[in-house]
Amino acid sequence: MSRIEVVSLVKEWNGTRAVDNLSFVVPEGTFTVLLGPSGCGKSTTLRMIAGLEDVTAGRVLIGGKDVTRADPAKRQVSMVFQSYALFPHLSVAENILFGLKVRKIAAAERDKRLKRVAGVVGLEDFLDRKPAQLSGGQRQRVALARAIVAEYPVCLMDEPLSNLDAKLRGEMRSEIRDLQRKLGMTMVYVTHDQTEAMSMADQVVLMKDGVCEQIGTPDDLYNRPSTAFVARFLGMPPMNVIRLACGAQGCRVAGLESDGSVTVEAGDGWLLGVRPEDIALDPSCGIPGQAIAVDYLGADSVVRIALGEQQIIARVAGHCQLGSGQPIRVSWTPAVQHLFDDQGRRVA
Amino acid sequence: MRTTLKKAAIGLAAASAVLGLAAAAQAKTQLTMYYPVAVGGPLTKIVDDLIAGFEKQNPDVSVKAIYAGNYDDARVKALAALNSGEPGQLAVLYALDSYELIEQGAIIPFDEFATTPEDKTWLKSFYPALMENGTIQGKTWGIPFQRSTIVMYYNKDAFKEVGLDPEKPPQNWDELTKMSQKLVKKEADGTVSRWGVMVPSTGYPYWMFQAFAMQNGQLLMNNAGNEVYFDTPASVEALTYWRDLGTKYGVMPTGTIEWATLRQAFTEGKTAIMWHTTGNLTAVKDTAKFNFGVAMLPAMKQRGSPTGGGNFYIFKKTSKEEQQAALKLIKYLTQPERTAEWSIKTGYVGTRPDAYETPALKKYAQEFPPAVVARDQLKFASAEFSTYQTGRVRKLLSDAIQAVLTGAKQPKEAMSEAQKQADALLRRYK
Amino acid sequence: MRIGGPVAIRNQVYGWLLLTPAAFLLVAFTHYPAVATLAQSFFTQGTALHPSKFIEFENYRFMFDDPVFWKVFRNNAIYSSITVPTSIAFAILMAIWVNEKLPLRGLVRMAYFTPTILPMIAVANIWLFFYTPEIGLLDQILGRFGFQSPNWLGNTDTVLGCVIVLAIWKDAGFFMIFYLAALQSLPVELEEAARLEGASRWYYFRRVTFPLLMPTTLFVMINSLINSFKLIDHLFILTKGGPDNASSLLLYYIYEVAFSFLDQAYASTLTVVLLALLALLAVGQFTILDKRIHYR
Repeated sequence: MSRIEVVSLVKEWNGTRAVDNLSFVVPEGTFTVLLGPSGCGKSTTLRMIAGLEDVTAGRVLIGGKDVTRADPAKRQVSMVFQSYALFPHLSVAENILFGLKVRKIAAAERDKRLKRVAGVVGLEDFLDRKPAQLSGGQRQRVALARAIVAEYPVCLMDEPLSNLDAKLRGEMRSEIRDLQRKLGMTMVYVTHDQTEAMSMADQVVLMKDGVCEQIGTPDDLYNRPSTAFVARFLGMPPMNVIRLACGAQGCRVAGLESDGSVTVEAGDGWLLGVRPEDIALDPSCGIPGQAIAVDYLGADSVVRIALGEQQIIARVAGHCQLGSGQPIRVSWTPAVQHLFDDQGRRVA
Repeated sequence: MRTTLKKAAIGLAAASAVLGLAAAAQAKTQLTMYYPVAVGGPLTKIVDDLIAGFEKQNPDVSVKAIYAGNYDDARVKALAALNSGEPGQLAVLYALDSYELIEQGAIIPFDEFATTPEDKTWLKSFYPALMENGTIQGKTWGIPFQRSTIVMYYNKDAFKEVGLDPEKPPQNWDELTKMSQKLVKKEADGTVSRWGVMVPSTGYPYWMFQAFAMQNGQLLMNNAGNEVYFDTPASVEALTYWRDLGTKYGVMPTGTIEWATLRQAFTEGKTAIMWHTTGNLTAVKDTAKFNFGVAMLPAMKQRGSPTGGGNFYIFKKTSKEEQQAALKLIKYLTQPERTAEWSIKTGYVGTRPDAYETPALKKYAQEFPPAVVARDQLKFASAEFSTYQTGRVRKLLSDAIQAVLTGAKQPKEAMSEAQKQADALLRRYK
Repeated sequence: MRIGGPVAIRNQVYGWLLLTPAAFLLVAFTHYPAVATLAQSFFTQGTALHPSKFIEFENYRFMFDDPVFWKVFRNNAIYSSITVPTSIAFAILMAIWVNEKLPLRGLVRMAYFTPTILPMIAVANIWLFFYTPEIGLLDQILGRFGFQSPNWLGNTDTVLGCVIVLAIWKDAGFFMIFYLAALQSLPVELEEAARLEGASRWYYFRRVTFPLLMPTTLFVMINSLINSFKLIDHLFILTKGGPDNASSLLLYYIYEVAFSFLDQAYASTLTVVLLALLALLAVGQFTILDKRIHYR
């Protein structure tokens, strides 16, 4: 009933393509995150699904019905805006009930729903307040309440947590995820924060420059990035992507002599990806490098290392005591290697 | 702080020294004159030229002529200057402001300093009708300068078109009614494209009404300025006739007629006859694209028209020397030649008979006969409506006239009310 | 830092010296005239023949018996109660209209704003020729359809309406600018949120735009109300308050009394009443409306 299909969607502004031939499917009752750096077209895509933005080409289907040109009100979607878009002169209760009043839902029904939703988001004691009298988190909840009180099967969220502090953001992440599961909503959620994507999504659509880089579960994207961009976008710290120089003698880290050779079959200029946590540091064996800096994070340390003119990052347990400029050797097992060709596409 | 103060003190001293020097350099008599402009045309230029001519002849007097807006503005400015203790020495103000200026204690009569035999002859050289407003309690308070009267402008082409003799304008009310009825032109759909006659009733309705009343043999006030005659049968009759031109005879639009736009209505042929000030003569001459005539206002029991416009006044707070200098200026400006020049350039009435004997005005009258109609009418003319409390009393009359013309009140009722209120205002001046 | 020490005293003096010019101007041009006006309203107008004397409330009693005062008072009430809401309504409508993405938007905005930058006297002269029968624009237009145009300004029934139309025409464009600024400060997301909920444009305007514009409306309302009492320039050109005071307003009457009747005392009385009235209206608007306004 509420499956969303986006088919070859295009949005052009004055000749430049903000969204270029984007297609994906959000199965009913699942959580899809549109992820990407700012300006990649993810918000525009969401607004086209909502009907707030005209579609240049392509189609949007909700529940199997083509709504590409339909009025936003006819699409039966609710939306949470980045700015929350709360009506500043209306109380919390009035804000939540705004849409129900527009649709002339009976007062008794309205009260029932208000009570229920207020309970769900924990706003029972604030119903008479104005938005200005609430904290950021509370305002966020009002916006959330307004989205779920409509009881629409589809909910769209546009960076809803970006205005909150880190701690609150963590709490709200799980709350939103729980809510979505409990209510069985089909959710499309826009964010540039990979943590949100990884922790919440059933499916991630990673975009760059209006084009889809990869669609898949968080697991897919993390463990099998289909491009070097995806590889570098996910992970904290992100994956190391090392440029290779290959010749008759085999492959080595570009810029290093024979002591920088790696065991991989690749072409010249290809890229080798290794996650920081998969790198082992050893003073005696491996590729020689120099420690540049160490960030101590408590449970582990992030070490920046120069391999010739390239830099990589390694993540090691405990407090690493390497000083700046100290020589060190790095190594990893072939099983953790990702290989990308000179266009950045995954090879193995 | 201290050095700043010192600098300021030095600056002040220097400034006052310069001012002192400037004052010392001006040993000649300084005159400040306020004057208004009430009709179109480059009047300020003409006044400036006249003043320049006077200063050339009298190097010991310097005149600052201040253009002060319309008549009301000029009065406000002159009186404000008076209250501030820095009055001008003379002004051109409404002829009808005499009572008010006397009550304010603002002016002195000319008899007090125009004492030589020559001065006395000069005082008698003006048309008597123009002296009436300025002559109160046997003394002369104002000298006529830019004076006007009401005349009848008529469209000769329209007269010809409906078969009337264009050289025979209406001579009395009856003719005015009948000819106007002929002159009204209606379109097929019933709308009027040309009216017979229009008499303006905004701005100065009392003035126009004075003409009707005088023609019906009724003056509206006494010379002492403490009695008015609004509710006499003759007055009521006069107002009734004015209203009937619109409501009964259908030769004039009902409601009030705007003073400021009437001239244009006439020159665009929207009315065949209009009553208006002679001050508009030159402007009508310049804009009318048809032959037009100017005639005296028609008679009922007699002919009649009020005079209007401005007189010279001399303010009380002036020194003997200033009085003499001001007198010299006024005498210069009212010389027959100056008067003739002024009349030709503006259309105002020449204020004295000998002005019409000057070659310039004689020649002008020959080329443009309408120029002398106002003068000829002066023998039937009388003072403009003016009493003590003149602003209030005049407004009572104007409101009553407008109430009748707009159909809000009947003539008898409106005039009785105005009479009662005016009597109350004038009681303490008896 | 002993209080009352020589330094503190010098600072005090210094402070007062700095304030003196402003205080002097304020007293000389605001406070003194107001008090003088009040004082003068208890005296007769002094002239050379009849010196001024103290008469308590005689001027006020005269005012209550003055039919012209009641007439201009009623005129002003009608004038204000029509010009204020109508010009506000037009201002909002025009602001919403020019806030849309429409072709030549800049030009349309300019056109609406033009009446504001024209001097009132010039405007009145233009409208005088609109209204004049026989040669006026209105007459020409009506004439084309075969109607005889009424004598707009020469009729007690229509003259006040004519003056009102002119005032609205003059004011609405000015107030539009304030509404336009207010509209542009409203976040777009609010309208988008409402659109998603299915709110019609009218519903959104009624429930969201208009309430959020209330601070502007209060400001505009007070300005417009004050304008309706203090802006009378057009009367001098258009009607001179006539015919028979049918288009006269309070301030115009005060002008007449002061400068045509030369009765400063009675003019002061009327001025006191006008000031009291304005103060009352302003206080009323602020106290009653302020509670119901949402300020961001």
